[in-house]
Amino acid sequence: MEASSLLNEGLTLMLYGMGFVFIFLTLLVFVTTLMSKLVNQYEKSVGVLPADGVPSPTAVIPKHGPVKPSLKEPDNMLSILSAAVQEYRQRHK
Amino acid sequence: MENLIHLWENTGLFQITIGQVVMIIIGMLLLYLAINKNFEPLLLVPIGFGGVLANIPGAGLADPGGILYQFYTIGIESGAFPLIIFMGVGAMTDFGPLLANPKTLFLGAAAQFGIFATLMGAVLLSTFGVFDFSLADAAAIGIIGGADGPTSIYVASKLAPDLLGAIAVASYSYMALVPLIQPPIMRALTTQSERTIKMVQQRHVSQREKIVFPLLLLLLVAFLLPDAAPLLGMFCFGNLMKECAVVDRLSNTTQNSLINTVTIFLGLAVGSKLSAESFLDFTTLGILLLGMVAFSIGTASGVLMAKLLNKFGGGGINPLIGSAGVSAVPMAARVSNKLGLEADPHNFLLMHAMGPNVAGVIGSAVAAGIMINYVSGGG
Repeated sequence: MEASSLLNEGLTLMLYGMGFVFIFLTLLVFVTTLMSKLVNQYEKSVGVLPADGVPSPTAVIPKHGPVKPSLKEPDNMLSILSAAVQEYRQRHK
Repeated sequence: MENLIHLWENTGLFQITIGQVVMIIIGMLLLYLAINKNFEPLLLVPIGFGGVLANIPGAGLADPGGILYQFYTIGIESGAFPLIIFMGVGAMTDFGPLLANPKTLFLGAAAQFGIFATLMGAVLLSTFGVFDFSLADAAAIGIIGGADGPTSIYVASKLAPDLLGAIAVASYSYMALVPLIQPPIMRALTTQSERTIKMVQQRHVSQREKIVFPLLLLLLVAFLLPDAAPLLGMFCFGNLMKECAVVDRLSNTTQNSLINTVTIFLGLAVGSKLSAESFLDFTTLGILLLGMVAFSIGTASGVLMAKLLNKFGGGGINPLIGSAGVSAVPMAARVSNKLGLEADPHNFLLMHAMGPNVAGVIGSAVAAGIMINYVSGGG
């Protein structure tokens, strides 16, 4: 009696399990296909993300890291311009 | 004189039992296979050494209070180590090939048939009185067919902790034996013309798709099968860290230092289960045999499913990639590639086989969730 109930349990688990694996992965196939379509549609209008990700790490934000010279500040503007002038003069002596 | 006798009684030579001698030899054999034959050395070295340590007479490293016992309780009994490894595996997985051809998920599903067929086999053997497996034991043995080390250890620790040593050793040994076990089955089930089917170049998969996929998978698991959430949740987390590319530091740690650290302790803890009393048993032999059957059936059903897809799904699928549905990543995919090149030197199947390969990881985690759910809940 007990042996046959174990057999039954095993059989049930096999059918149930295999069925569920297939249902789950079938759903995943549909959802994934749909997702790919939507994302591709979306990217047609916004363009793709760069493969190496969005710049600037989130874990550590450098406070006093190297600051890029920005054209908006007048000091930077001056030094950039004077460097350019010097460069020009040296080339055209 | 009394002191001398006391000292003698405390030596290993005095206390050792035959079982321990045999287990130390088995541990050494595992080390030999790992070091000399390069069989899954990353795991078999710690497992083999742990096995030797666990059987040192009198030292009691694997008994309550011993260091290996602590590793086991902290890492495996709690389920932590296999899950952390799964996170690392997630961070190393590229879902690109799968996203390019989602149909290959079916191959990953079919290969899980090995798990359930073996479960049935174990149950049948118990019914006829050859072995004495409970349903939980049978489920834990079946999962060897998933060819996924961490999943097997996770399920075994939940359902059949007594059999964990044998199950872990079986599943890692078979993962190492993939290149020997699979090819004859694959050749037997396919014809020469099927093996030369050329597969078209995969489409490009955008970064956004790769970021959304783990989240999608997570939601699906959350809604349908919360029992698989520990395994697949960690897997998706690892993968998201890799693909989102804004937490490279975390992703690198997960893929390298963290997974390596955990592997060391996982191996030693599994080794601690190789004690003579529990391993030197007729059941171990049964587990090794059933594991082999599980693996072969998984391979065969993957190949057959690929042929079926070819018939009804419009063709263009080389049945050789079906065998990669068992989740031994990336060995199974390499085997597919090798056999493909054998049939046609210009046919590169590696990237195509990676699709079913990672699908197999998902499939076996789902199967694990179902088994845990059924056995601990309903049965």
